[in-house]
Amino acid sequence: MKGAWDEMIGADGRARAHCREYSDWLLAQGMDRLEAKSAEADALFHRFGITFAVYGQAEGTERLIPFDVVPRVLPQEEWLLLEAGLKQRVGALNAFIADVYDAQDILRAGVIPAEQVLCNSQYRPEVQGVAVPQRIYAHIAGVDVIRAADGRFLVLEDNLRVPSGVSYMLENRRMMMRLFPELFVRCQVAPVEHYPEVLLANLCSVAPRGVDHPTVVLMTPGAYNSAYFEHAFLAQQMGIELVEGQDMFVRDDILYMRTTRGPQRVDVIYRRVDDDFLDPLTFRADSTLGCPGLMAAYRAGNVTIANAVGTGIADDKSIYPYVPEMIRFYLGQEPLIDNVPTRVLRRPDDLAYTLAHLEELVVKEVHGAGGYGMLIGPMASKDEIAAFRARIIADPARYIAQPTLALSTCPTLVNAGLAPRHIDLRPFVLSGKDTTIVPGGLTRVALREGSLVVNSSQGGGTKDTWVLEQGAPERLDA
Amino acid sequence: MLLHVRHETVYSYAEAVRYTIQALRLTPRREARQRVVSWSIQAPGRRIEQVDAHGNMVHYLTVESPHRELRLLVNGVVETDETDGQPNSDALQLSPLAYRTASSLTATDAALAAFAADAFAGSDDLRLRLLRGAQAVAAAVAWRPGSMQASDTAISAFQHREGLCQDQAHVFIACCRALGLSARYVSGYLYAGAEGSVASHAWAEVWLDSLGHWYGVDITHARPVAGQHCRLAVGRDYLDAAPVRGMRRGGGQERMQVTVLVSNSPQQ
Repeated sequence: MKGAWDEMIGADGRARAHCREYSDWLLAQGMDRLEAKSAEADALFHRFGITFAVYGQAEGTERLIPFDVVPRVLPQEEWLLLEAGLKQRVGALNAFIADVYDAQDILRAGVIPAEQVLCNSQYRPEVQGVAVPQRIYAHIAGVDVIRAADGRFLVLEDNLRVPSGVSYMLENRRMMMRLFPELFVRCQVAPVEHYPEVLLANLCSVAPRGVDHPTVVLMTPGAYNSAYFEHAFLAQQMGIELVEGQDMFVRDDILYMRTTRGPQRVDVIYRRVDDDFLDPLTFRADSTLGCPGLMAAYRAGNVTIANAVGTGIADDKSIYPYVPEMIRFYLGQEPLIDNVPTRVLRRPDDLAYTLAHLEELVVKEVHGAGGYGMLIGPMASKDEIAAFRARIIADPARYIAQPTLALSTCPTLVNAGLAPRHIDLRPFVLSGKDTTIVPGGLTRVALREGSLVVNSSQGGGTKDTWVLEQGAPERLDA
Repeated sequence: MLLHVRHETVYSYAEAVRYTIQALRLTPRREARQRVVSWSIQAPGRRIEQVDAHGNMVHYLTVESPHRELRLLVNGVVETDETDGQPNSDALQLSPLAYRTASSLTATDAALAAFAADAFAGSDDLRLRLLRGAQAVAAAVAWRPGSMQASDTAISAFQHREGLCQDQAHVFIACCRALGLSARYVSGYLYAGAEGSVASHAWAEVWLDSLGHWYGVDITHARPVAGQHCRLAVGRDYLDAAPVRGMRRGGGQERMQVTVLVSNSPQQ
């Protein structure tokens, strides 16, 4: 797309100041060497067995998600701004969820219409009135950030249920250090390897009151889940048990796991199982993935579930447009990172504008996921637009509309050599007693030329994400 | 009215069960217009009490020693008010809005939505419309004990044209929600007279916005809920309010026998 911001090359065609060190090195490499390194990476990933899907693909489609050897590099000052903005945003989102399941001040104040929240299928009445430690619900948040053509960062989406992809962040870094150790001597890249440690400390900090040395487990749906590798990887890195629902049981509102030495009390669950499947006595009765009675232990305050039950209410697309208002309401601050401008088609003005500009806009179904129920105007045919127009008119409240954004690009190794490809960024925000973000996150890249879709299911790959520990180094020749 | 309840549930299993956990919603709700005179639940194993988000009293029962049979016996007396519809707004835990969105069991399709628009029309008084709607639902979904599995969806009950009181309640609730009303499922007991055939029962409540309270409608009998009804639990649908939801390890084939007696005088 014309006019996209390039992360490495400035408008003058020269490398941006913070990237010069890396860019000089990159240009000095022959294409042969880069391609050889890329092939080496593929072989190593295959050998490690990192062949899982990040974004909920169909069962049985395990495959390698392409890894690009050219990193995305962020200068420290930009990262500090992003970090502050993300902490602010996730802080407000946590305050919002805590409020929804408690006093509902924001609804009473009329900042968000009560029915937008309480009639939402993501609202979980089962946890209304349940107090959680530190009032934190989204302990792990994966916030999808993009950079617009003017260089500003915008939040595209908040993932507050069971966000995945962090194992790519860790594995990509490990791979880069193995392929190009010399680079990490030249460029001062902030480390990310301590993520599992920080995650564990975060989970311990939200243990039920009075538990000093909590037992933390990672609850997985099992080996058939597309992100099972990540579950096993994180459990192993944190040194905690990887359990399935059937490995645990409840007695007198207390959760135990079965061990070879008898039942052991569990205090904190890092769950990678959706709300609906957590407890067949409370949610879907046909769930075989959950632990019956878990919600009784939870309501009694005897176990912490991370992320908490009910966080989906804050990452629903119909609630997203209100996040800036949440920041003002709970924190009394202006948002440091903006939303993508979003039209809510429930509003007549927004509906009229959208219907008049369908060929320019992206229209999304509020409860849709994975690109279903979505129209990308500039890529759609006349017939597709006409069909979508009819669906919108039939039920406007189900849709939001956003401009088609020129995601920033980053040089990427493709068949023809190095070429710009569109990228996004998913940093992982950890909230507990403190809020922590390991510098960087997961950079996803749309490998097809011109494509704006970074999802792995549609030809997306990943890159290492570098946050430099200092500003641009002084250069003798500058 | 004084209601005397005896409710026995016996599960028998082909093989030994190693672990059972059940959520029992078998205790009358604590509300101003029904007062528990006496109430007991006899059951094996361990038990702990909670109040859920809907304000229902829940007992979580666990049995960890091997068992081939599990017997629950509920005995009690409850006194109810006679007011029609049992208007109820006390101890509101959840906003009525939480009961306005279709759940999986109360979703509607085009046919059911069209039925709702038609059957609930014709009066300025919402209560009258609800009773008409109840009549239409009871006619469209005939009450046939044992004709279906409980916890089927409203759509399938409406297609089959018959069902249990649970199914009638689900269809009624689905219609109300399709019309933008907040409606909830009620599980409880009914005193149906000396010859009555219904004792364990289900009905619905609809939020009357203008009056600020819930209004109970017995769909099976197409009349307002009154003193003959004792309320055990409410929820968005059967799954929230079911008298027993349980899981077990082992046991193989299960047989369940339920006997419910509700009378207006002490009984054996």
